[in-house]
Amino acid sequence: MITVKNVSKEFVSNKKYPGFKGAIKGLFSNEKVSKVAVDNISFHINKGEIVGYIGSNGAGKSTTIKMMTGILTPTNGECLVNGVNPSKQRKINAQNIGVVFGQRTQLWWDLPLSESFTILKEIYNISDQAYQESMTFLNKILDLYSFFDRPVRTLSLGQRMRADLGAALLHNPKVLYLDEPTIGLDLVVKDNIRKAIKEINEKYQTTVILTTHDIEDIEELCSRIIVIDNGKKIYDGSLEKLKDTYGTKRKVSMEIKQLNAFEGIELSETLGVTPDLCSTRLDVEKNTLEVTFDKNKLQVPQVINAVMSIADVQDIQIQETELAEIVKAIYQHNVAK
Amino acid sequence: MNKTLKIYKPFAMNELKRQMAYKASFYLFLVISLFSSFISYFLWMAIYGSTDANTLGGLSQNEMVIYIFMVYVTSSIVTISISEWVSEDVVKGSVAMNLIKPIDYRMSLISRAIGTMIYQFMVPSILVWIGLEVYKVTVLGMDLTHLSNIILYLLSSVMSFLIFVLFDFCFGMIAFFTTYIFGMLMVKDALISFLAGQLIPLSFFPEGIQRIFDFLPFSSMIYTPVMIYLGKYQGSELIFVLSRQVVWVILLYILGDLIWRKVTKRLVVLGG
Ligand SMILES: Nc1ncnc2c1ncn2[C@@H]1O[C@H](COP(=O)(O)OP(=O)(O)OP(=O)(O)O)[C@@H](O)[C@H]1O
Ligand SMILES: [Mg+2]
Repeated sequence: MITVKNVSKEFVSNKKYPGFKGAIKGLFSNEKVSKVAVDNISFHINKGEIVGYIGSNGAGKSTTIKMMTGILTPTNGECLVNGVNPSKQRKINAQNIGVVFGQRTQLWWDLPLSESFTILKEIYNISDQAYQESMTFLNKILDLYSFFDRPVRTLSLGQRMRADLGAALLHNPKVLYLDEPTIGLDLVVKDNIRKAIKEINEKYQTTVILTTHDIEDIEELCSRIIVIDNGKKIYDGSLEKLKDTYGTKRKVSMEIKQLNAFEGIELSETLGVTPDLCSTRLDVEKNTLEVTFDKNKLQVPQVINAVMSIADVQDIQIQETELAEIVKAIYQHNVAK
Repeated sequence: MNKTLKIYKPFAMNELKRQMAYKASFYLFLVISLFSSFISYFLWMAIYGSTDANTLGGLSQNEMVIYIFMVYVTSSIVTISISEWVSEDVVKGSVAMNLIKPIDYRMSLISRAIGTMIYQFMVPSILVWIGLEVYKVTVLGMDLTHLSNIILYLLSSVMSFLIFVLFDFCFGMIAFFTTYIFGMLMVKDALISFLAGQLIPLSFFPEGIQRIFDFLPFSSMIYTPVMIYLGKYQGSELIFVLSRQVVWVILLYILGDLIWRKVTKRLVVLGG
């Protein structure tokens, strides 16, 4: 469905100097600054997949989306969406895609929402019957009719986002690009948007590419994620595999009455491993002992046994590393692998 | 053709509706722009009064009155500044929103311009025009303008409109390279009002300079239809000025296409 082959994007702009003197200097200097926003990225996405495209601020997510939608032309490499090169055959490509940029709207600001939809109907050449069907479905999942007659500029952010998603889906596109579709939304609206995306994907086998900073979006929607950092692809695979590869730590919290029994004791010694594989933290107020360890080297029962050999344990909680933690670690460049 | 019409008609209709929604600012604009026509009217009347010649630059005093007000009528339906919309779209980043839809950006702008043109034609133009004809017959004692001249004038004005918006589209492309286009818009307006004959009829210029004007698109924007209205062109000359307009429409269409291709290739969309 979508093939991205060795795509790079370099932004070149004139160097700017600070202050008034700088502005004058800028007039005469020909110095350029270049920024490689996307660096030799390749991937392939199949029909019906929902792919999470994640990375820290400025990683190059939006730039990639813009190239896949045909708004930007890659400096090198090429994209093929449904057999069409988006930047060369922009209009043909546009017929097949739906796009939501969470930060801005594609609707006509001054017009009632209903008018925007009427215009889109003409632009995408949608038959009356298909339009009716689409609208019924979209209204069901996004509840558009409750604000259909209001000018877009009077809509709340959540309403606008639902409207934008509806507008992107009206012509039943084969591919849906969502650049931060849940930015600034409350929990209920976020949930509705996610459900809508899921339903569309299931009903029409729509391919979805989604960038987000909300981990829950990814956990609930994406079967596959692509992580980019500094313009480079650093991970591409399933969510489970990401957790497996990067989430090597496991945490066990135990409630213990005689916490002082652990003072001065190195649990790693008790377990016979090096200290970097197992660390402990005492919480005197809650009477808990937290043991964080490498799940590839140590098993949970081993750890619990070691603790119980020192004192009685009243309650046990076992936690996987959260996805958020993993992602944070990746963004901060301090992952083990 | 039919399909194209269906796609772009909403753009024109929207603009029409939008214009109607901002009536107040529009009437203010109307009064101010008519005001400047009256200034130039009194100025020219003083000039004609102070000379013994019957005609200046080939125009009699009465023809000058018609010239001044027909310039007003023509420019309000021709000079629709789509480059301002382009710069607005660039600054707001909404060009991207146009590019993700299967529409032609230039066509959507021109359709919006058509909506504006229809509105401006209905509201100030036709009123001033009728007023002028009434004034001609009752005060100046002239005949009504001949129907054939009116038809030719309208035909020529439509081409003027196309020449203007196609030119202005090319001009608006500057917005993609410098975010500050406002100053240039002022310069453009000043230049056009001079080169298109809005301020002074082009026939007032020396021969040599008029030859240069012949090779620029600006005279085809306002001067040509107004002179046709005045019946200043006959026979082969008439055919020449009309064909020159057609040529400009074609040339500027192609030029805009080329520039747009270049621009989209190195287009930088801000934000996100
Ligand atoms: N027009 C431009 N000119 C110069 N540099 C740019 C331009 N657009 C983007 N960049 C740079 O390219 C890099 C990638 O930007 P991009 O918008 O793709 O990031 P992103 O991953 O979407 O980030 P965010 O999560 O903050 O939206 C950034 O460093 C940005 O500053
Ligand atoms: Mg972004």
